[in-house]
Amino acid sequence: MFARVMISPRLITAVLPAVAALVSCQRGNQADTAIDEGILIIGNAAEPRGLDHHLVTGVPESRLITSLFEGLASDHPYLDDVSPPGAAKSWDVNEDKTDWTFHLRRDGRWSDGEPVTAHDFVFSYHRLLHPDLAAYYADMLYFLVNAEDYNRNRRSKILLSNDRVPGATWEDFDGLDGSPDESVDTDGLGSPPEWERAGDEEARARFVRARGLDHLPPEALDWLLESPDDRYSWPASAAPEQIRALLTALREHHGEDLFEIANVGVTAEDDHTLRIRLRESVPYLPSLSCHYTWFPVPRHVVLAHGEITDRFTPWSRYPNLVGNGPFKLKEWRFHDVIEVERNPHYWDAENVRLNGIRFHPIENPYTETRAFLAGQMHASYTLPPDLAETIREKHPENLRQEPWVGTTFIRFNTTREGLSDVRVRKALALALEREQFVEHIFEGHTTAVSMSPEMGEYSPEPVLEFDPERARELLAEAGYPNGEGFPRYSLLISRSSARPQAETAQAMWDKHLNISITIENRDWGSYIAAQQNLEFDMASAGWVGDYLDPTTFLNMWMEGGGNNNTGWHSPRFEELLREAATKSDAAGRFAVLRRAERELMNGMPVAPISHHSRNYLLHEAVGGWYPKLLDNRPWKHVSLER
Amino acid sequence: MTDKPEQKSSLWKDAVLRLRKNHAAMVSLVLLALIVSACLVLPAIPGLLHDPNALNLPNKNQPPSAAHWFGTDHLGRDILARVLGGGRISIAVGFITTLVAVTIGVMWGAVAGYTGGRTDAAMMRTVDVLYALPFLIIVILLGKTLEPITGGLTDFFVNLFAGADADTRARNDTRAWVEPITTLVPLFVAIGALSWLTVSRIVRAQVQSVASQEFVEAARSLGLGHLRILFRHILPNTVGPIIVYTTLTIPGIMLFEATLSFLGLGVKPPYSSWGILIDEGANRMLSNFWLLFFPTLFFSTTLFSLNFLGDGLRDALDPKSAKD
Repeated sequence: MFARVMISPRLITAVLPAVAALVSCQRGNQADTAIDEGILIIGNAAEPRGLDHHLVTGVPESRLITSLFEGLASDHPYLDDVSPPGAAKSWDVNEDKTDWTFHLRRDGRWSDGEPVTAHDFVFSYHRLLHPDLAAYYADMLYFLVNAEDYNRNRRSKILLSNDRVPGATWEDFDGLDGSPDESVDTDGLGSPPEWERAGDEEARARFVRARGLDHLPPEALDWLLESPDDRYSWPASAAPEQIRALLTALREHHGEDLFEIANVGVTAEDDHTLRIRLRESVPYLPSLSCHYTWFPVPRHVVLAHGEITDRFTPWSRYPNLVGNGPFKLKEWRFHDVIEVERNPHYWDAENVRLNGIRFHPIENPYTETRAFLAGQMHASYTLPPDLAETIREKHPENLRQEPWVGTTFIRFNTTREGLSDVRVRKALALALEREQFVEHIFEGHTTAVSMSPEMGEYSPEPVLEFDPERARELLAEAGYPNGEGFPRYSLLISRSSARPQAETAQAMWDKHLNISITIENRDWGSYIAAQQNLEFDMASAGWVGDYLDPTTFLNMWMEGGGNNNTGWHSPRFEELLREAATKSDAAGRFAVLRRAERELMNGMPVAPISHHSRNYLLHEAVGGWYPKLLDNRPWKHVSLER
Repeated sequence: MTDKPEQKSSLWKDAVLRLRKNHAAMVSLVLLALIVSACLVLPAIPGLLHDPNALNLPNKNQPPSAAHWFGTDHLGRDILARVLGGGRISIAVGFITTLVAVTIGVMWGAVAGYTGGRTDAAMMRTVDVLYALPFLIIVILLGKTLEPITGGLTDFFVNLFAGADADTRARNDTRAWVEPITTLVPLFVAIGALSWLTVSRIVRAQVQSVASQEFVEAARSLGLGHLRILFRHILPNTVGPIIVYTTLTIPGIMLFEATLSFLGLGVKPPYSSWGILIDEGANRMLSNFWLLFFPTLFFSTTLFSLNFLGDGLRDALDPKSAKD
């Protein structure tokens, strides 16, 4: 009995958690024991992709990282618009909020006892922005002066505007675009284009344009230098000797890291003074600095395990990981538990209330809920909507339902044939009955009318609606009348608990547009990777605000944004975002952002469905745990009391 | 089997008699017939059942009632329709995959057992090697590798049944019942390709013992060809163990499909199989017990029946008791 013999162990593993829950019930309650030990046990939804906060993007990772690291400011236990000091004990700022000086704590230490210095912060922001690290979240630091140019590796602009090219300035080369030209035909050049394959003059010229002036290998620069005028189209304003000077400078600085030259707006004035210069007025910088992209990494540890640009080196694994947060890494069992314990070197260690936290990556929220009810944990990550009713009746004291700044949406891969047509994307968006989702699928959510939820003074223009007539018209215009010949796309979901919402969208599209799609379930890591590599058709996704400003829902849709993952971009949209950044009054700024958001919805790279609410279970013994709009939990204030 | 020898025909008769005396096996047979015919026939009658995949959100999580005998699920779909529709898939997986496995296994074992010598050794060592592979991992890998073919396969069958020039609605309706089965073809093939090992060993041993008997010698001395001897004279004498093994393999494979679907690797939504229904029901058993109860009832009844029937057949076809 091959099949049977092989099956029984599988079934046992499937049944085991339930049995284990029953057994532990009888043996006494794990959650109660942990209260006496001062250890908080919480569900954390997924095994994190890693703990290197320059390389992750998810909420499960964020909860772990905020316990291990601390930014310049920290999260307030219950206020959303106040950021108490963190690694910096105070800060000064100029009047238009563009030039900030942070005074770091002199007693700030990493968990291995080394001092936390301003150089760690400079190193950290340098690393996140480094073009070769290709961090997905690099755009969170674009607020820094020149950070975007550096991250996008605009070498010619950096050299020209920082006096590295004798006799020429950026103005002389007005309009020079050194970025790759996607319209160039790269036949025979390989993908990405390779210099070795470009044999004749014509192929070499194509190579140069396809790669972009800023990204050329030395051989190509030498070849250009031989006869610059014939081989590249230069802005008319640039004189021949200036062009030679630029090419020579590019050749000279080839392969060099331009961070210093780029004059990025972060500098260490001394060991404990960090100066941050911003390209726009950001009054909410302290709140922004509570996001993990602004946290420091321990320079001495990162460099001990590799170069600055090496990804996923062992520095962020147990036992190497060193942080400056209230807790330090104690144990990491893959797909089982990550445990952190009190960090004795933390500057505020005496006010940390817990002895440790255990994060369990339980992907199935039903399993998690059962584990909570069986007394195995103190807080669950999320409560499945269809259990809310039962819990409200039987365990009202544990049920938490709170607003959460976030949006559920369907992400389109706009590089796929069919989905590249905005009419198709709009048709798909128009055929979704959002009221039904909110009423029956997402407990406590509100209907989305645009990408960003209402935030304080900001409210987006209502764009989204349910209009099946219009949807069918658009689909017919796009060449799929009555759904005929429509490609068979798959909708990517990250866990089986997302199946109800995916099946609902599937049924609505089938009903209103007469098209059928498949649903594909992947684990968290490959779900994220598929989107980052644009290897998907559509994905059921969500985005939670990183700070309380609408730009947290808008900035990521810029070209090349690490969290864009749609292939969509619009110059007009980016222009409006840049325009908004120059406005200093809130009302004027929000007006421009509304127009930008309207532009985004016009392109419809995503079809928003609803705005989040946080539903979870919390043990009565947990103290210092308050509702927060961004759900950024300052772990040091959380306590356990009988 | 046109020229059945007299003695063998009485063996079958005896077997049927013995089986009819086995009450557990007979009850199982009736139950099995009921479930299988319900799953195959009822969903095919138009208008009798609700659409198993049609959402009716305002009507979600209804307990069993006159309108929905087994209640509705979290998306308002009728559980009765889903259990019967899912049964089709689970049963199809069980039977088709077993057929694949048994066919390969019988051929392999018969050839190895009849040929003997080096060929036999080489063939059986291959079986040993395949035994050593981790079953679940190989099935998942093989299934994933073969996945790209399912799209073309679905289109082929949709064209076959609905016609290439039918309108989109008709094609989508045909797709609704073709697709859940074609998307499982990689799994059929993968499971089938790895579950024949035991059959081949049983058949080889059986063939070896039969091949040394006098009537085979007689056939050989008459100058019959190897194929004729193997298929006409030897294999019919190994049918008993093969049937028994088959009835015991089907539930094993249905269980395995349930495991894969439970893990999210089997049938794709919105289609159901018993494994998926049990997964969804287990998640919601705190609030809606009927989501778990009915699929489990059907699934375990089928498994029990097949096992009892297999046991009954083993007793009935035992050649030793046939000689008394």
